[in-house]
Amino acid sequence: MNPALRKLVRKSAPSAAEVDSFVASATFPLVDGTDVTFVYRGTADAVYLRCWIAGLNTAQSLQHLEGTDLWAITIELPEQSRIEYKFEVVSGGQRELVLDPLNDVLAHDPFGANSVCQGYRYERPDWTEHDEEAREGSIELIDVESKAFRERREVKVYLPARFRKNRRYPLLVVHDGQDYLRFAALKTVLDNLIHRLEIPRMIVAMTNSPDRLKEYAGNDPHANFLANEMLPLLADKFPLVDESYARGIMGASFGGVASLHTAWRYPGLFGRLLLQSGSFAFSDLGAHGRGPVFDPIVRFMNEFRENPGQPGEKIYMSCGIYESLIYENRSLVPRLQAQGINVRFEEARDAHNWENWRDRLRNGLSWLFPGPVWMVYE
Amino acid sequence: MAEYFLLGPQRPTVNVDAPFKTIDDQQPVAVVSAGWQDAEGDIDDVGKIVKRPLVDLRLYQRAEEVLASEAWLHEIYRERQDRLQELQRLYRLRLRQSMLAARSLLRAEGDPAILKHEQRHAISQQRALDRHHLQRICAIHNEFDSRIANDHPPILREHSAEIADVLSRCETVIITGGNVAVLLNRLRLFDLGPMLAQKNIVAWSAGAMVLADKVVLFHDNTSQGIRDAEVFDSGLGIVNEFVFLPDAKHRLMLSDKIRVALLCRRFAPAACLALDSGSLLRYENGRVAAAQGVRRLSRSGALRKVRAR
Repeated sequence: MNPALRKLVRKSAPSAAEVDSFVASATFPLVDGTDVTFVYRGTADAVYLRCWIAGLNTAQSLQHLEGTDLWAITIELPEQSRIEYKFEVVSGGQRELVLDPLNDVLAHDPFGANSVCQGYRYERPDWTEHDEEAREGSIELIDVESKAFRERREVKVYLPARFRKNRRYPLLVVHDGQDYLRFAALKTVLDNLIHRLEIPRMIVAMTNSPDRLKEYAGNDPHANFLANEMLPLLADKFPLVDESYARGIMGASFGGVASLHTAWRYPGLFGRLLLQSGSFAFSDLGAHGRGPVFDPIVRFMNEFRENPGQPGEKIYMSCGIYESLIYENRSLVPRLQAQGINVRFEEARDAHNWENWRDRLRNGLSWLFPGPVWMVYE
Repeated sequence: MAEYFLLGPQRPTVNVDAPFKTIDDQQPVAVVSAGWQDAEGDIDDVGKIVKRPLVDLRLYQRAEEVLASEAWLHEIYRERQDRLQELQRLYRLRLRQSMLAARSLLRAEGDPAILKHEQRHAISQQRALDRHHLQRICAIHNEFDSRIANDHPPILREHSAEIADVLSRCETVIITGGNVAVLLNRLRLFDLGPMLAQKNIVAWSAGAMVLADKVVLFHDNTSQGIRDAEVFDSGLGIVNEFVFLPDAKHRLMLSDKIRVALLCRRFAPAACLALDSGSLLRYENGRVAAAQGVRRLSRSGALRKVRAR
């Protein structure tokens, strides 16, 4: 337990004012090296720490601190870890998931928000935050009439600052583009990395799906849409370098599967792949046990593992070690390397969430698309 | 007598207009923006700031035209670039080990009398490697130059004459930042060093780097890891005794005294000067005539303000 908290509760009954003073002066959760103490204050029958970390119990019980309205639990968290959590408060037979009222640091995702525990020596990278010196790119909307989907699809296209029609640019296709923008600060990251010359000025096409669990799960119409409908339109509208090394595709979770599947279906089209926490479920024998939405993924991955071909020339993969998909991701690396593909794999002390994917963007993008930082002095 | 103004990056602080407060001619100003590569000539913003008529020398575009029309020249040019790249790769292999050893010795603790001698020797080995590398680079350039001199292509002569004509009407030249290799190659292809030396020069970042007698590439902490500064090429040798380090506050770990001290000692007696945005060095008659915001890397690892001499 945190030493200051231990000192407080060692007194037989600390006054409400003493507890107030302690709460006001501390930053929660309490991080003491690799010991992290989560604290909830309030009246309840029971309180649980809910964090979705592979290897830990999903719900861990907080201990009521005698003589106070404080509840606490200390867990060991390796340095540079970052985890997202909520408290489950049980009161009068009711269970409620709540954000940590003592912690202002939140992470957002399509399902809402979570409280964030930034472990010892974790720091949010500065290149993920707005830099007023960085020139800002712009975002245009284009519509793609899709025969594959029998409907019109909207694509957001990032154009770098000082975009000129008479130059040619690499292209990066991003799955779940809207979520990358909202939850992983993608536009800020692109602006900053381009400003720092760590990646070249590039055009980024951000796609979205109304039914990603189906369309991103190794789905041929989706690959057809990207390769034969969206890419030709982008090439027509924007000045792109027409080479596979200057064409990348990326995504996280199911978006990682969609990226790999599209690159596999159309070999030679995308030279650069950025796959984050890909949901690369497979089965060697029997059922996979991940639920029916994974059925098409498992079919694709099993086929892919049999015949990987050449889905790209350079592939950057990342995965959190606190997510169960780490095993599938790790096992994919040697299979890709055996094909002669240049693979870089990075493991992070984080889980299956957007800020994990945000924090890996610099390493991934600058490796796949190295910028001119060494040669350019502006 | 020509004056040379060396500036840091023009973002966030713009000070390219400052030299024009003392340069009182109203003639057109020639611009070398070849470092911007395909954005060469995009100089409207510069014109608005300096408030003088500008003429871009179009060195990048001219070089493209020359190389496109003379296949043999293109071939030997590419061959030279391939050899230089290979040389740089081999140099980097040795550099990594040599710098690691020098840094380890500078960080080592022990008997000062013994350590001092070993540190000095490690740095002198590094200096010898840098010297050797630069000699090899110069030999490759000399070979290329002599091959061109034997068969000077007419299109190169035509462009050189046009450039000389523009320069004859300008007393001042602006050299922008950008890709330092591209900039240097273009200046060298048209042999502009001697002509530029006669003019007032206002140069920022890569533009300042190419004016020194050697060009040093540097960035302590790229996204792909820590790198050591590399001697890249000889410069035009117009402003000697310095190694210019634009945007040093972002590109170098200036709080690491060992790294700073090593950089300083490695290139001494040339002074390593941090040219950050907003800084200005005025060089005239072989001396620093004025300096604003320029800092020198010192042997102790500290940064010292540069003053006029």
